[in-house]
Amino acid sequence: MSAVLSSLTRRNRLTIVAVAALALYALFFASSYDQRILTLAGIYVIMVLGYQFIFGHAGALSLAQGAFFGVGAYVTGILASQYGTGFLLTFPLSIAGASMLALIVAVPVLRLASHYFALATLALSQLLLLIAVNWVSVTGGANGLPGVPPITIGDWQATRGTSLLLFVWGIAVAAMLVARWQLNPLRVAVFTVMRDAPLAVPAFGIDPGLLRLRAFVLSAAFGGAAGALFVHTNRVVSPETLGFGIMITCLTMTVVGGRFGILGAVIGALLLTHLPEWFRGLDEYYLVAVGVLLLAMVVFAPDGLASFFKQRRIPASPPGHAATGIEENATSVKTGVRVLEISNLSKRYGGIQALDRVDLSINAGEIVGLIGPNGAGKTTLANIITGIARADSGSIGSAGFDLTTATPTAIARRGIARTFQTPQLPDGLTVHEAVATAAANIGNTANKASSISARATTAIATCGLTRIADARCGTLPHGLRRRVEIARALAGAPHILVLDEPAAGLAPPEQAEIAEILRTLAASGLAVLVIDHNIEFLRPLATRLACLDAGRLIADGPLDEVLADDTVQNAYFGLVQQ
Amino acid sequence: MSAMPRVITAAAFLCALATGAQAEPLRIPVLVPITGFLALEGTSQKNGAELALRGSGVDFDVDDTATSPEIAVNAFERALTSGRNREDVVAVVAPMLGTQMLALVPLADEFAVPMVTVSGTARITELGSPNVFRFFPGDVVVKAAHARFAVEELGAKRPAVIFQTTAYGQSGRAELDRNLTALGHPAVIAEGLDVSVKDMLPVLSKVRDSGADALLLHLHSGPTALVVRQARAMGLNIPIIAGSAMHQPETAALLEPSELAGVCAESGASPISETNPDMLAFADAYRAAFDREPDAFALGQYDGVRMLLAAIRSGAKSSADVREYLSTQRYQGLAMTYASDGKGNMAHSAVILCYAGDSRVPAIVKRYENLTGVL
Repeated sequence: MSAVLSSLTRRNRLTIVAVAALALYALFFASSYDQRILTLAGIYVIMVLGYQFIFGHAGALSLAQGAFFGVGAYVTGILASQYGTGFLLTFPLSIAGASMLALIVAVPVLRLASHYFALATLALSQLLLLIAVNWVSVTGGANGLPGVPPITIGDWQATRGTSLLLFVWGIAVAAMLVARWQLNPLRVAVFTVMRDAPLAVPAFGIDPGLLRLRAFVLSAAFGGAAGALFVHTNRVVSPETLGFGIMITCLTMTVVGGRFGILGAVIGALLLTHLPEWFRGLDEYYLVAVGVLLLAMVVFAPDGLASFFKQRRIPASPPGHAATGIEENATSVKTGVRVLEISNLSKRYGGIQALDRVDLSINAGEIVGLIGPNGAGKTTLANIITGIARADSGSIGSAGFDLTTATPTAIARRGIARTFQTPQLPDGLTVHEAVATAAANIGNTANKASSISARATTAIATCGLTRIADARCGTLPHGLRRRVEIARALAGAPHILVLDEPAAGLAPPEQAEIAEILRTLAASGLAVLVIDHNIEFLRPLATRLACLDAGRLIADGPLDEVLADDTVQNAYFGLVQQ
Repeated sequence: MSAMPRVITAAAFLCALATGAQAEPLRIPVLVPITGFLALEGTSQKNGAELALRGSGVDFDVDDTATSPEIAVNAFERALTSGRNREDVVAVVAPMLGTQMLALVPLADEFAVPMVTVSGTARITELGSPNVFRFFPGDVVVKAAHARFAVEELGAKRPAVIFQTTAYGQSGRAELDRNLTALGHPAVIAEGLDVSVKDMLPVLSKVRDSGADALLLHLHSGPTALVVRQARAMGLNIPIIAGSAMHQPETAALLEPSELAGVCAESGASPISETNPDMLAFADAYRAAFDREPDAFALGQYDGVRMLLAAIRSGAKSSADVREYLSTQRYQGLAMTYASDGKGNMAHSAVILCYAGDSRVPAIVKRYENLTGVL
């Protein structure tokens, strides 16, 4: 026993003590009324856990959680009160009903961004409220439907008090387990990338649409479950369950408790259900008191009260523990073999010809420098190669596959990785977590946490970042952030690496470190395309140089020859030939 | 005299004292909506109950139920199970919001505690509960008076109805439809309004285009005032017979007396319009206590609680005693005579009052007594 206790972290011990104290109070000292408030808190825990998926992890301000709660409530309310359907059927149907609604509205709604998404989900809530109020024959109209029976399973019944409290919290614990399963540390990290570094999302095999859909449907399922329990607790279903008040309650609980994690949901729900009751003695001023306290919490704990506790992290593997190396995968393509073939590629933005019939190829083990004046089309080419932009004409092929119209996710999974002009790293993730997100989504190995972690560890070691693997990306200087981006690109074991100005803003020693890393990678068979203005950085690095000017490829060949070319001199260095 | 009898006497006296000290006064929790969209009416309900309970020797706490069933159930459980002896609670003053009452009925039945309310929602007395007692004429009563006055007294042949899309509104609309149809003049148009709607011009234009010759309203206080004002502003000068919200002094205060000309309203009572001494005394006491004018909700709740106190004075010591008294006895209140119809509907009379256009105090122009035939 003592061995088990000593193996627990301080946080876990505190959690166990707090849960035990709360359980003792609820079961042996709480009045029926106190138990009711705790029961409601349990229901709201389920609702908030669901809302964390879409609002917290996916970062989308959905105002439909109240609607999903209401749908769950009405499915149970109508079936139980009008048809006498039992809990074992109404409960899953409530979850399914809310989830189906989320699936149906996801198609048009999830495409919308930020405030448009919020408005669309609000409109959904209002539409459902109107239906509930006006479809009197089915919903009971504004009165709602009374006569919802208590939860009954066989001969057992949870009317109120201890039995209902235990049942609801039992479901809440099950919801916590589902949330924990769905939100393993790696997936939390992936959500963080999607939220905080959106440009990087598709380039590393993360399908943002699928992630948001998953979050939206899960939030609806949890909302539906909470709504079903709510009507059994209140014994009536009425339009208030679809009202904006429920949505605001859920949003407030999530903001106050925390947008992430079980602890945030529990703290938010317990606090917000009890606050009005604690301040009840202030009569008509209690709303003011509750408001002031909530404001103070939001000001002093903007990330929620649960942020005072540490979150789960992806455990880093020891450096020597890497099972599969980056080099091993990269050298699976023989040095000298053509791995990227770009033919006749054109792209126009309005009146500007960004790329004009560009032909370019890269072989395994080759480092190709791409130079050109500002606006020459270098980043456009990188974006088209990695699928972020679509070419108007021409083709891109790699290892026998036509990638011209492939999605960024598909291209990433075909072994083409990239970095960005401005590093796209979520500040809140550690270096290991940021790199692991790419390993998880585009790695070729089985998606097991241990192998993902090992691949990330190897990529980090390759870039010389092992000693800062647990540092948060937001705390790193610019030079290290560049290297973390390269490590993340390597984590998916690519064949081709596209680097957009990797040396920009770096001091010469930092440039040299990056050059050394790239040389090592190329030597192991990786094809590298380096876009940069810095000739001094490229001169000792690139085995070949290409130059773009006004969208046209004006030179491609050995570095010294290209640099000596008159056209390049004229276009890039501005030296007018006499 | 030996010491023993004195000791026994002293012990008996101490026991009696102890018993007396342990006996808690009876309680009547007051659970009413004093925040939210029903705050105006809910505050009247609270004031009526409070005025009746002050100095009665019965303990009472006021608790806000706001506007959701969840909060009402919380308040009910808190009143009955938190801290004090549940047996002390002989009755509950329950919220006038219909959805809250629907949620409280199973709980009241479980605790076997009678609820006294002024909710107009018809359904609350149709659930077969022995614990609901309504001291305000329900829609069955007031909407009968409403429709009859429009058709029989004002000669309306093409009435229009505007109702609120709340429980209150939908319940009243159904009764209006039933009564108007029974009188041979069904509504030519019936339009629902959300409580948040402020621009009444679209719905009033529909009413005008329908060729209606009378406008029957069944709206909450604010929307009633808005409809009356905007109808007059657009020159829609057909008679307006409003719901009970119009009789509230706070509603009339939102309008100029000239805008009120030709406006009538149904209600259970109108304390500020009455001139009998008892009613005048009630109105004076109410103004002194709360610095506002009394309305029918306050009066109905006042009468309801006074009947509870009459039950206690007559010897009722438990919720069962009180329920028995309310179910079987007749009580002469200030507004009317109350008696249960077997379902808990205690009020069976209604009044119609009209504004002359020179004052915000209406005159009672028609009394409809014992519309249900219970008395």
